Amino acid sequence: MPVPGALSVVPISVPWLAAILVVGIGRQPRAIGFVAASVSVLASSFLLHAAPVKTSLGEALMVLFSCLTVVAMLVLPRRDCNPVTIAGMLFLLGSTLLAYSTENLLVLLVAWILTTVPFFLEQLFRADTWRPRLSLLLSSAALGLAIGIIAVNGHGMSIDRLIGQNPGGIAVFGLLVAAVIFRKGICPAHAWVADAAEGGPAIPTALLLNGHFGALLVAKLIVPLFPHATRDLFPVLSYLALATALYVAIRALTENSPRRLLAFLALSQSACILAGLESQTVEGMTGAFAHWFVVTVSTMGLFGILRLLEVRFGENLTASQHLGLAEHAPRLAVFFFVFGLALVGLPGTLSFCSQDLLIHGTLATHPLTGLLLPIAIAMNAVSVFRLFTRLFLGKRRTGFTVMADALPRERWILTAGVLFVVLGGLFPNAIVALRPVEVEASTQGVDSQTDTSHRPPTAPSPIPKLRQSRRSSAQP
Amino acid sequence: MDSLGATLLFVVMAPGVVFAVLALLWLLGWVPSERVLSRITGVTFSASIFALARIIWKLGATGAPSVTVMLGNWFAVRDYHFPLVLMADRLSLPFLGLTVLLSGLIGQFSATYLHRDRGFVRFFLLLHLFAFGSLLAFAAGSFDLLVGGWEMVGITSVLLIAFFQQRTAPVENGLRVFAVYRACDIGLLLGVFAMHRWGGTASFASGLPQMTGTQSLTVCLLLLLAAAGKAAQIPFSGWLPRAMEGPTPSSAIFYGAISIHAGAYLLLRIQPMLIHSPTASAMVIAIGIITAIHGTIVGRASADAKTSLAYASLTQVGVVFVEIGIGWKWIAVAHILGHATVRTLQFLRAPSMLHDYHKMHSAIGGEFSPTGKHLEDLFPKPLQLWLYRWALDRGHLDTILDRIVIHPLMGLSKLFARLDSWGLGQSVSRHEEVALSMQSSPGRGGN
Repeated sequence: MPVPGALSVVPISVPWLAAILVVGIGRQPRAIGFVAASVSVLASSFLLHAAPVKTSLGEALMVLFSCLTVVAMLVLPRRDCNPVTIAGMLFLLGSTLLAYSTENLLVLLVAWILTTVPFFLEQLFRADTWRPRLSLLLSSAALGLAIGIIAVNGHGMSIDRLIGQNPGGIAVFGLLVAAVIFRKGICPAHAWVADAAEGGPAIPTALLLNGHFGALLVAKLIVPLFPHATRDLFPVLSYLALATALYVAIRALTENSPRRLLAFLALSQSACILAGLESQTVEGMTGAFAHWFVVTVSTMGLFGILRLLEVRFGENLTASQHLGLAEHAPRLAVFFFVFGLALVGLPGTLSFCSQDLLIHGTLATHPLTGLLLPIAIAMNAVSVFRLFTRLFLGKRRTGFTVMADALPRERWILTAGVLFVVLGGLFPNAIVALRPVEVEASTQGVDSQTDTSHRPPTAPSPIPKLRQSRRSSAQP
Repeated sequence: MDSLGATLLFVVMAPGVVFAVLALLWLLGWVPSERVLSRITGVTFSASIFALARIIWKLGATGAPSVTVMLGNWFAVRDYHFPLVLMADRLSLPFLGLTVLLSGLIGQFSATYLHRDRGFVRFFLLLHLFAFGSLLAFAAGSFDLLVGGWEMVGITSVLLIAFFQQRTAPVENGLRVFAVYRACDIGLLLGVFAMHRWGGTASFASGLPQMTGTQSLTVCLLLLLAAAGKAAQIPFSGWLPRAMEGPTPSSAIFYGAISIHAGAYLLLRIQPMLIHSPTASAMVIAIGIITAIHGTIVGRASADAKTSLAYASLTQVGVVFVEIGIGWKWIAVAHILGHATVRTLQFLRAPSMLHDYHKMHSAIGGEFSPTGKHLEDLFPKPLQLWLYRWALDRGHLDTILDRIVIHPLMGLSKLFARLDSWGLGQSVSRHEEVALSMQSSPGRGGN
């Protein structure tokens, strides 16, 4: 079904316009934000539905991130719900969707930078330490340099035309990997993620982290553009990702700040996504994409609930002692528990399937270093459970003036999140099947490149082939 | 799917559906009354018992070895499939029957035992989830599916240990048990992966996957790690007394009956592989013997009823491991059935044991005359004292685990924290506190 060109602009432009509107009129920010994000959800869903083959990573991610923003709008406590915050979140939504949808390198760079802008502005989401700003700056600089070298070498800016061209050679490849490392928070550039979570606003920071731009860059640029370098050099990034997953998992064991702890967990699990993508096996890559969905929904739920707790019980929550909050907020406790264990492979949730695939895929490629993955996941599970027990269990605390459990607005949206991870776990094929054609093609491509040394070095990667064929089939 | 398959599906799914519906309604604001909950529980497990009886009757009448339900693939990615296969054969049926019967009994018992307890609804939800997990593990036709049920049992076990959440000790003990479970479950995950990798499948509905000797040995050892963790065998026995913090009905069904024997069930499932791997069989026997001796010595020095019973369970499960290692499959099954039934009764009677003793003393007109004859009297006095100290610290197992694993890991974590704080100028002391509370001596049971 052909997609009107104007519709492609709707999911991006509506949030941006709504951001201006919110700041302009300064009233009803949640309602405006909710409507704008919902329009993005609808438009993205239509784009996904209209795609000839339901294998589009970009459109699926657009739907996911739009839904995530809707959740964020509804979960955001009243205390945080001011026009500036809502405008910043809408701006982030539009910029992120632009990055997901574009096929142009320059636009990707602009979107990449735009998503970081709110985290440099003190009026918006700037953290109180310098490391997040430096990392975001370095990642943008690395990507900008890489794209600059590609442009200087006379290549076009269209990603489709660069497929398999190895544009700029090893220098560009290295710069793109550096951009991934800084943006994703791969060791040794991991510390900024926890700083941002602790020193900045919780829910917008969760939105930034859940854009997963590092993984996006791997899937969108590195694998298609550099098939040979990917084959030869990718294991290095894979080892770094696995090392990050383990390092951060160990680091989380003694962390007592709930926000930092959640950031470490999110980072460790996100590193698993990279490890899966780099495994170059169909199981690993499919697991990575399914895990992308799980990590996104679960971490947003966890950060949202933590912020709700902070608003109710004070911002000095700590995991160094038992706070006994389940007595006051039993439903928030259950939501937290389900989201927490859904992040680390609770049976019956989507992450059980995604981690099963991830472990199989990663171990198949890296039998020794792949062992780090189940170990890291096990440690993360212990950390999640520790945080849950410290926050919610223990002797009932007294002396609070406000002790409301989940409000109906929060309860319904969190229930929707729980249903997503649980129904996704019961019927995982709905998520797993989003990617098989492209993933299988890409792994077949890698396999065939591995098997047939006579393959021409400029052979295009299968991912864009599919995109081209989809596009051409979309045209009447 | 024939009617027998549908019946098996009903048996496995019924508690899961009840849990899901009740939990969702509770999340949305509805709180069921005690009467409603206990009736739903009674009806569910009664129906399951009749359904299971029908399966046993039909299998007996037709002489069929098993009933298998193929539900397709949960998910499939190219050559990798996660098959949804339920199977009830001569090995799984006794375990299924035990689970359904004891869950129903525990439900009825708990309706009175936990009457007006603040956690009444929570307990019953977890009971249903536990029953679902156990039934899934025992009726699984593949190791993939078994992992799902296995982990559900683990999670409900931990949540019930921390049931009395107002006190710190149960919560911290729950965390410790969870950590041990997760560590040992790595063996299960890797074992299943190895089966897929080397044998092409992890399904055992039509026989175990074919592998070479070394591959079989590797898989057996990985699964033995998981089984030893779940069954609290040496060197993981330290978590068992900690688990006694939970309410008595859950202790009865978990550590007297079902959960503690899940490890033995896993070994029974891979017994054809074990037989052909003398090294693995020897390790199973060795672990069983050491655990049995450890359990009986430590149990003698335990001061409270539930911990004594837990160590008595441990001893019996150690013996079951020996039987499995030797190859006495059906003796092991009979042992498990008998032991689980008796131990559940003992656990359920534990809270009223003092009262029972008083009644007996009144009836006989005085206290029992101690015989003074104990097995340990055969040992020399210094050895007796050494063994007593050793038993009081429960074989130093927790201390050893702390020194070898926990403390180095925590030290590493703190080192990472120092590295991470570079450039921030903030004090490291905020990270200093060791997060996992790893007390050497667990809290005593008795709830």
